[in-house]
Amino acid sequence: MLHIMDNRNGIKKEPKATQSVWQGTLSRLDHAMDLLDLTPGERKYLSNPRKVIEVAVTVKMDSGDIDIFSGYRIQHNTNRGPAKGGIRFHPDVDIDEIKALAMLMTWKCAVVGIPYGGAKGGVAVDPTKLSARELENLTRRYTFEIIDNIGPEKDIQAPDVGTNAQIMAWIMDTYSMDKGYAVPGVVTGKPISLGGSLGREEATSQGCVYTLLSALKVHGIDSTNLSIAVQGFGNVGCNAAKILYDTGFKVVGLSDVGGAIYNFDGIDPYKVEAHAKKEGSVARYPDALEMAGEDIFSLKCDILFPAALENHITEANAANIKALFIVEGANAPTTPDADKILNDKGIFIIPDILANAGGVTVSYFEWVQGRDAYFWSKRKVNLSLRDIMDKAFYEVYALSKERKVDMRTAANMLGVGRVAEAVRLRGIYP
Amino acid sequence: MLYKLECYIQPSKLDCVKEGLIDTGVEGITVSKVEGFGKQRGYKNGETPNREVKFLPKIKLEIVVEEDMVDITTKTIARLAKTGKIGAGKIFIIPVEDAIRIRTLEAGKSAIL
Repeated sequence: MLHIMDNRNGIKKEPKATQSVWQGTLSRLDHAMDLLDLTPGERKYLSNPRKVIEVAVTVKMDSGDIDIFSGYRIQHNTNRGPAKGGIRFHPDVDIDEIKALAMLMTWKCAVVGIPYGGAKGGVAVDPTKLSARELENLTRRYTFEIIDNIGPEKDIQAPDVGTNAQIMAWIMDTYSMDKGYAVPGVVTGKPISLGGSLGREEATSQGCVYTLLSALKVHGIDSTNLSIAVQGFGNVGCNAAKILYDTGFKVVGLSDVGGAIYNFDGIDPYKVEAHAKKEGSVARYPDALEMAGEDIFSLKCDILFPAALENHITEANAANIKALFIVEGANAPTTPDADKILNDKGIFIIPDILANAGGVTVSYFEWVQGRDAYFWSKRKVNLSLRDIMDKAFYEVYALSKERKVDMRTAANMLGVGRVAEAVRLRGIYP
Repeated sequence: MLYKLECYIQPSKLDCVKEGLIDTGVEGITVSKVEGFGKQRGYKNGETPNREVKFLPKIKLEIVVEEDMVDITTKTIARLAKTGKIGAGKIFIIPVEDAIRIRTLEAGKSAIL
């Protein structure tokens, strides 16, 4: 294994778009703030993260060497409630990306009407290259470095790309041991046996599907006999493919970092999941044809479901998209330039801060169940999730029709507007 | 938690829905002949609706099941009661606070199993 003192040096960052994800996120915000007619002071306040923490996560590796990984925790806004946001373990993590994701969390929580502000964390590391012990040590060290700034009333952690329920359990343990008593509320996405919520694992995907069904309904489509291509086969992509398959959609394309497959007769994502577990990727699945990873975007299908990282739909590939609907399971998968092309093509986009808000919504349920110390059935979780997602979809849709703007702009306006109202009411301290 | 499924289906679908439900393990069904209309207000394809609403014959099924059975039961009914056209019917899922078996006074899940 290659040992590098500064993890960033060894990573080749490929610019996927002409604009960074932070610049793209700011331009989305600016557009929404223009339409909301906010004061210059409000604009400045909403554009700036409240707290940006950068830490050196020091880990003694199995080899005996010491490695240092860059870690971040950024709290964008806490006017509506404690900060909330996941932790990403990925080699491309940098301050830009985490600032953007933290800001999107603020708008996302406001769009679905849950009482949280936005935050995000990350460590620039490839977790697949760490041993279990190294991963645990990295997690615990990262938690410890940010420990004074997090907590159930301050900033609540959650999983994201590269992290999972086990890692959340280590975070909960580190925080609790430091405090001297169990504090399950510091993190959501925990294992069930530690106070996790039923339905959390697939919540992001389930929420996306609820918004898709609402989108189809308002377009007069009441059938699920439509074809769908899912980009990414992690937590969101894999669970989404399975739920869509169960709901009657035809999954015609799947992709992950290892490659992409397609079959216009339909693919069974459960079988692909088993295959991917063994082979490490969806590629080389026997009952489908191979194609290049990026060809998933231009695949002939009714619905496209990006569920990977930011800035994958760009001005380079947007024009080739044949889908009529895009459900943004990922955060910021579409650059502003691509957005313009897609809107001109008349493609209906369910934006990230609406579509994938199911995850943070069930995190919110987990936090609520934890506070009550009383846990809900899976049915109650899903029905409550559906209520919130349906309400949010129809609010965004109504605003888009009223102000004659696309869904992304309407969602941005709804989210930013609610936060701006909180800013106005609370005023500026002291 | 117990749930009651109140289902409105086409009379022609009663037999296969009944068989399907028994296969999934449902312990009891109440059936009644009713009349009703939905979004189509009783008009079939091709007819021109006017102000008058038409009631058409339907079968109502009432089934009480435990929470884990709700999904499989609704899926079974939906699958078997489908007609391919509008007017196939509806399923309503209603929480039941409790259930009592008259003979033994068993309550909750035991009352229906």
